[in-house]
Amino acid sequence: MASIKARNRNKLDLLGVVPFLLFCLAFEIVPIILLIRGSLIDKATKAFTIKHYLALGAPLYINSFWNSIKLSGLTALIGCILGTLIAYAIYRWPSTRVQHALVTLSDVTTNFAGAPLAFAFIVILGMNGVITQFLLRYFNLQLYPKFSIYSFSGLVLAYVYFQIPLMILLVIPAFEGLKKEWFESAQSLGASNFQYWWRIGLPLLMPSIIAGLTLLFANAFGAYATAYTLVESQLSLVTLQIGFMIAGEVRHDPGIGMAMSVVSLILMGLSIGIYQLSARRAKWLVKSSS
Amino acid sequence: MNPSRKNKPSTWQYILIGVFLFYMFVPIVSTYIFSVATRWDRTILPEGYTLNYYTQAFKASYFISSLKNSFILSIATVLVGLIIIVPTVYWVHVRVPYTKPLLDVLMILPFGIPAVVLALALVQVYNFAPLARSPVLLIGAVVIYSMPFMYRPVSNAIQAIDVITLTEAGQSLGANTFQLLRRVIIPNILTGIWSGSLLVFATVFAEFTLTKLIVGARFKTFPMLLVEYTRINGNTAAAFSVISFTIAWLASLLILWVGSKGQASYQKAIGAR
Repeated sequence: MASIKARNRNKLDLLGVVPFLLFCLAFEIVPIILLIRGSLIDKATKAFTIKHYLALGAPLYINSFWNSIKLSGLTALIGCILGTLIAYAIYRWPSTRVQHALVTLSDVTTNFAGAPLAFAFIVILGMNGVITQFLLRYFNLQLYPKFSIYSFSGLVLAYVYFQIPLMILLVIPAFEGLKKEWFESAQSLGASNFQYWWRIGLPLLMPSIIAGLTLLFANAFGAYATAYTLVESQLSLVTLQIGFMIAGEVRHDPGIGMAMSVVSLILMGLSIGIYQLSARRAKWLVKSSS
Repeated sequence: MNPSRKNKPSTWQYILIGVFLFYMFVPIVSTYIFSVATRWDRTILPEGYTLNYYTQAFKASYFISSLKNSFILSIATVLVGLIIIVPTVYWVHVRVPYTKPLLDVLMILPFGIPAVVLALALVQVYNFAPLARSPVLLIGAVVIYSMPFMYRPVSNAIQAIDVITLTEAGQSLGANTFQLLRRVIIPNILTGIWSGSLLVFATVFAEFTLTKLIVGARFKTFPMLLVEYTRINGNTAAAFSVISFTIAWLASLLILWVGSKGQASYQKAIGAR
């Protein structure tokens, strides 16, 4: 009796999460499903088609994907390497106060993406930027036109700005999970510092580093505001192209925009999926070690 | 871990941290200086200082209205976020814990959907009045995007208190769910609620992509005005950027302050992100 009552109550209890689910359905899930469906349907005949995906073979779209993947991959890699090294330097810093301050700084600066950050880079590295002029005057180094903040290389610099702190935040907990005893036992067995890191430290950090790399990739791939402020239409990126289609600035079949979106969703889904798996593995390593 | 912790950092540490600080601070500090410099392209330090760009910026058309719009958007997002997330998180913890994995997935989803893709999907589906390209649609999109920032601190705060015992105690005294939330649960997770709200506020205040693509020029927010001025007038754009950075710093300081007052739920929040 009691158990049946409890079970019924449990079913009614589910109603409590309905408002939230409806919100997600209305503003996220249903629109995304319809977007996927729309990418496979011919607007005029309402029939199934893959022509929007075939249209992505045009040089403009191939280029956009190539640029986006190159930009995200490169900045993820730079952010991952520098972020891990800096995180290690923070982790080895003797004063916890300094450690805390540096982590807090990372937390603030990783959110400094978008227009203000892009403009800050124009201030220092634009044509008349502070650093551009400084290098010209004191080192006789002419950055322009070889380098430009309004180009691919400029975007790399601006993206790495928010990638490094994000990586630091992701990898610091992994460093903290490494046990002192492991280093001591390795040392007592005659391992050098390098051997310890190569054989023990790095393999243990690997899941966190891979998780960081994939999350950084997704982070850069989806970015729009920084790129829009800096390059607008001088460099084609996937997010910029989709943006142009929404704003109606280019007269294209919206189906192509949807097809681009679906391909992006697949790429993002893969990265987030690998991130989840590695993050879980990293958590497991930390947990099973304590 | 920590092979032989020394009392002094080594040279390589100074170099790495130095490079890091240089990278993080030079763009921002330069923008602050640039916004008060009369001329700064021939000398190491500016030739003179002025507050003129700020008076110009304050006089710019749309300055007040865009700030107002950004405040409206941020506060509306925080409120809607609170209303849909706090009761749901509580309910899931107390009554239907087996739905928690679903909740977790829904909170990760926004990270996997680029803002432009969500904007395209929403604009295509809601293409009828009055929703089409309206601020209401925008608020829906922004709530979805900022959800994880609200969820983490609130969820951590609820996990930190003994929510079941509190609920049972309240119920035995005859409180209904609404009274329980208002009188018992919310006062106990206030730190998490404040951290989440401030994080969401700061994120939405800087939001550009969804606003530009869903509503466009009819609802000009502060970041949109800033982007516009980066193409018109660098000095005014610098003043706007400084205002933007300052708001972000203030929000972060407040989050830290709130966090240090509570049970360090902030640390957990960044750890989880």
